[in-house]
Amino acid sequence: MTSKRQQCNDKWFKSNRIAKNPDSSNLSPSTAMAKLEHRASNLRKDKPNLKRLKKGAKAVSFRPVKTPAATERTPSRPLTNGGAGGPEQGSDSDESQDWSSFAKSVLHQNGGGESMEGQESCVSTKAAPGRIEEEAFVHCAERDYIHNRTVLVMQQGQTLCFRGKCLLSCLYGRVEVHGFTLEEGQQSYPLFSPSSHCPLTVTALGDSPNPSKTKKAGRLEAKAIVRKYLSTETRRRLLSEVDSDSCVILLEPLDTPLTRFLNSFPDLKEVFGLSSRDIRESSAMLDTPLSGLGITPLRKTARGMVMSQTYREALNGLVNACAEELDGCPVILVCGAKNVGKSTFNRHLINTLLNHTASVEYLECDLGQTEFTPSGCLSLSTVREPLLGPPFTHQWAPEHMIFYGQSSCETDLDRYLESLKSLWRLYNRETPIVINTMGWVKGFGFQLLVDIIRLFSISHVVQLSSGDKVMCPQLTPEFLRSSHGWQTHPPVQSALGEDNSGTHPAQRSYTLFRIHSEFEGAGRPGEMRHQRSNEQRDLALLGYFSQLQSPEPGPVRPLHCFTPYQVPHSAVAVGVTHCEVAPTHVLYTANASLVGLCCLNEKVSGRGSPVLLSQTPVCPCVGFGVLRGVDMARGLYFLVTPVAPSILRQVNCLLLGAVTLPNTLLTGQTGILGDPPYVTMDYSFELTGAGKLHVFKGLVRPGQMKNAK
Amino acid sequence: MKKKTTEKKGHVVAWINKAEWDQVLEYLYSKDCALQKYALHRISAWKGRFAHNTPIAVESTADLVRCQILDRSGKLDADDLVLLYGTALMRFVNLITERQQGKIARPLRRLASNLKIPEWIVNLRHDITHRKLPTLKWCRKGCKFVLEWLQQEYWSRQLGSGLAENWESQSEGEDGEDELQRQEDELITRQKEIESYKKARELLISFEKEQFQTFEGFLEEDKQASLWPEPSADMSWILAQIKHFALESSEILIDALIEDGFMVPTIEQLVSLSVDNSDPTAPHLPRVVLRFWLPLLKDLNSQLFIHLLLEKLFVELQQLSEDNQKHRSFYIAGWISEVILCNSNKNEYHYESKIQRKARLKDKIFMKRIQLRWQQLLAACLNAPCMATPHLLQQILEDMEHPMPLDTRQKLLRLSSIYTQGADSGCDPPMEHSGQPSGIYTLESLHERLRVQSRRQVYMMHPGIVSDSRKALPERTEDFQEHLSPDVLAERAAELRGSPWQVCTDKVQWKNYPLGKVPGQSEDPSCLMVDNFSTIMVFDQQVEMENATQHNAHAGVSMPHRITTDGLLWTHNDISKLKAGLQLF
Repeated sequence: MTSKRQQCNDKWFKSNRIAKNPDSSNLSPSTAMAKLEHRASNLRKDKPNLKRLKKGAKAVSFRPVKTPAATERTPSRPLTNGGAGGPEQGSDSDESQDWSSFAKSVLHQNGGGESMEGQESCVSTKAAPGRIEEEAFVHCAERDYIHNRTVLVMQQGQTLCFRGKCLLSCLYGRVEVHGFTLEEGQQSYPLFSPSSHCPLTVTALGDSPNPSKTKKAGRLEAKAIVRKYLSTETRRRLLSEVDSDSCVILLEPLDTPLTRFLNSFPDLKEVFGLSSRDIRESSAMLDTPLSGLGITPLRKTARGMVMSQTYREALNGLVNACAEELDGCPVILVCGAKNVGKSTFNRHLINTLLNHTASVEYLECDLGQTEFTPSGCLSLSTVREPLLGPPFTHQWAPEHMIFYGQSSCETDLDRYLESLKSLWRLYNRETPIVINTMGWVKGFGFQLLVDIIRLFSISHVVQLSSGDKVMCPQLTPEFLRSSHGWQTHPPVQSALGEDNSGTHPAQRSYTLFRIHSEFEGAGRPGEMRHQRSNEQRDLALLGYFSQLQSPEPGPVRPLHCFTPYQVPHSAVAVGVTHCEVAPTHVLYTANASLVGLCCLNEKVSGRGSPVLLSQTPVCPCVGFGVLRGVDMARGLYFLVTPVAPSILRQVNCLLLGAVTLPNTLLTGQTGILGDPPYVTMDYSFELTGAGKLHVFKGLVRPGQMKNAK
Repeated sequence: MKKKTTEKKGHVVAWINKAEWDQVLEYLYSKDCALQKYALHRISAWKGRFAHNTPIAVESTADLVRCQILDRSGKLDADDLVLLYGTALMRFVNLITERQQGKIARPLRRLASNLKIPEWIVNLRHDITHRKLPTLKWCRKGCKFVLEWLQQEYWSRQLGSGLAENWESQSEGEDGEDELQRQEDELITRQKEIESYKKARELLISFEKEQFQTFEGFLEEDKQASLWPEPSADMSWILAQIKHFALESSEILIDALIEDGFMVPTIEQLVSLSVDNSDPTAPHLPRVVLRFWLPLLKDLNSQLFIHLLLEKLFVELQQLSEDNQKHRSFYIAGWISEVILCNSNKNEYHYESKIQRKARLKDKIFMKRIQLRWQQLLAACLNAPCMATPHLLQQILEDMEHPMPLDTRQKLLRLSSIYTQGADSGCDPPMEHSGQPSGIYTLESLHERLRVQSRRQVYMMHPGIVSDSRKALPERTEDFQEHLSPDVLAERAAELRGSPWQVCTDKVQWKNYPLGKVPGQSEDPSCLMVDNFSTIMVFDQQVEMENATQHNAHAGVSMPHRITTDGLLWTHNDISKLKAGLQLF
């Protein structure tokens, strides 16, 4: 085990050396970036089955670990898959020690920026822990103007909260970003902190990962690193700041196909800028050595992520659970009403778990706010890279995906559940899995949640809530024993008795963590720019199609400029999932629309004419494309898609849904001959009936008004 | 009145072009059921495109036309038809009035009358929802009326009938009261401002008078002495007053200060101070002018004041750059330069003597370096291009707390010098690159250069022939078109071989064709009709993919579908689905 790990570490080190090689800085930044991206994507695909860290994080300071809210689970693991544990089962005690010690540290350090600042228990040596403020940057940061990068020295417990995007590498010590620990010698990670989301925070963990080093050796090593990255005149100030328990990080500008593509849309130029709130509260520090890299540090007035006590306890409990059950992997379900922070919690949880395991599975059951795909899709992903940004920054092809076609499931609950079941059958049960659920937790939505818990043998339920308003009942195991789902029903209480009869061991039971979200605006939809759900959906799609752009910097190509693929009408079936369209007119819906690229087992052949689906099947989807045009004379569809040709060859079905292309892709087409189709300047919304169906909720009747008064 | 910003970009709609819209409109209101049906089918495709954004007028029209078609087909009984008409009419009234609804529910009748929908239509809806069903005759009448209403109010006005102005003018006159109140408030504040402005001027004039007196006396006494006398008692009093005034309204004070006759001296003032006009490229304030104002500025010195002063000076400079007043902009720029100089942390005074140093420090408005908002300053400086901009820019760039990369600085400086050079290229940009013979600063000069070159080439090859040089100019367009290299094409083709998919190899400039258009596509709105099609029925698929099968092979075998829930292998739904499936064969 150790030797294997050692080997793996060597691998890491090697690959890191390449990136860290000072020569690489001589390359033009663009090619270096492209290489890096390439390598990063390779890393993802190669699936190195290794642990990331040599050691688990150590606790920053001791703090008793609270027992989770409701521990129902028996310590004996009823869900073990026989003796499949293998080497992991015999895993040495130091492994589990890592886990538990990490768990302790999570509880403490994840207090993150704000709560950290108020804690007296912190072991601080030099600088006061907390957000780095304006004056401090003068001492602790130095910019290298030639390579356009900044070296930042952070003291244990210090935090850097920012807007923007950058590439972060840890040169010395360890830092934590949204649950993920970056250690010296690791690859660089892209960080995205757009205005639409809670800003990211980098926290210095301080303690050197290698305890055998003496203080002096550590200091010398850190200083040597600073020297390597800065020229003589610039590093002087910084060297005095460095100590053995400081962290040294390198920040570089980040330029990817995604950022370039988004930047080509006038409305989205400021996505990685400041939020209106940052401006209003003037929390941005505009003049620091970090400006010019593409990030803006924020003052204390801008709150980073707010983690309530229950949040930390849940995270801690789940990390412990994964430590306990390295062989019988936990199945974690995260649920709660809309806007309570499910998605943020998921990312935090996954990142934290990725400190210890090579990968975490993720089952997407939320059609609206999907993490890895454009919305309207259910998917099963293997996550190997930390999620250091909102969903639109990591539109990675999931291992398995099913096209549902709408951003909510209410029109066809059965197809929704069947799709999830078929995804679940593909889960290999060898890694922990996080299941994200939708924010519809009332009525049938709640029944579906009950079904999912029953069908997928959940071991841990995380239920998020906010405010005092009870959106749905607490999902205690007792409650679930008697509640009805859409497809499943509580077992008939037979006279023979209870669960402990032997045939059904306590496996249906699970641990419930209840999180009460306390961040500002919890439970309410966001109102700022790019926060509305439709804007997020558009961003996700733009993120997806940014994969078409070349990794080398160059002009950003609008979608219509790409050489399309072509396929005969008779070779692919076309289906509309969300409404009934007259078959003879179906191409009027399909033309210039977003299509899901799906695969049917049946052979599709239409004797020269289009093939239409009579109903929507549950079938695998491999990606998305834009049906760029239809050649009626030759009977061809033209398709623009980032899906690789080796996968595209299997596609024989194009599904259309209610998730449409972002309008800006159609309205913003430049360089075309004539007017763009499907765009008009003359549509007047002033006329009666010109708008869409608009449902006012909470209309007050005159009678109610009187009562209220 | 609010101006829509989206106007330029246009709206995404479901119809390809106006022709398709017109066709649907014509068919909807035709007497021919086949055409009406065709329109309905097209609207079904529109709904697919619009998803949740279908205009309710379109939807209501389609519903009502559907009723008419079914009515005319003669296949349905009167009772069937009443139900159909009823639903369509009810939905129309409810949906169309929805937008009129405020926070508090208001009677439909009133909302409808706002929309010119008569009461009998609303009553018809009431009958359908909670009273005795109306007769078929009434339903038909209602349907006919509503369709006409929709045609008049929506269809015929939509798409470029230019009625928007009429609608906008309605909103006038509603907020009259607020407007009055606002005007009154404005007037009051304006009045106050004028008063304090007057006071500021008075104070400054008395300061000037006092200074001139001391200055004249000083001229008479000793020309060599560089010392100004200590402020008199009167002066101290004036300064105290000004300082007090600045506490309350420093903005107004600064406004007055930068007027002509104060910090920007008039010609007469200059004459009496015996200053001759110098050249305007390097904004260097005459020392006398500086010393004249120094007592006041030193007194007012505070971080806030300096910030504000710089800000105002730049704003002024920006305005001046547009009107081209050389004298004034010279002094404004001079003051900016002076203030920034005071803040400079440069150590270029190594070799000066103590006395020189003392003299230099004497002329400083303030000693301690203050934190300026450099980013804002930079922006302000670039916003106010004038002769002095390169100079000021360089000062700012050098002094910035966190300077920009060297090449960026150089580029900026160069750009600014190019921009401000104007007709007379008198001033040299501070950072001159060698090997740039004559500047190419505009597109025209670039074209000119190319023209000259190409002509020369042509001339050299075929002496005597002078061709139209314009032809030789390369077309200046950004090439967005994706050009796949032969390697990539071959690779893709190899990967797709054996499947119906291909990379399109037509020689098409795709960048010319917007999404939804292909070469040779006609403008005819019926060009996408499918005449022949086949339908296939498929059942739910196993999601596993070809490549995924091997990936998960072991998992698939060892892990049968695990149902640990309640013992039931199939739910009712599963069973009913299975049954349904069985019946099909």
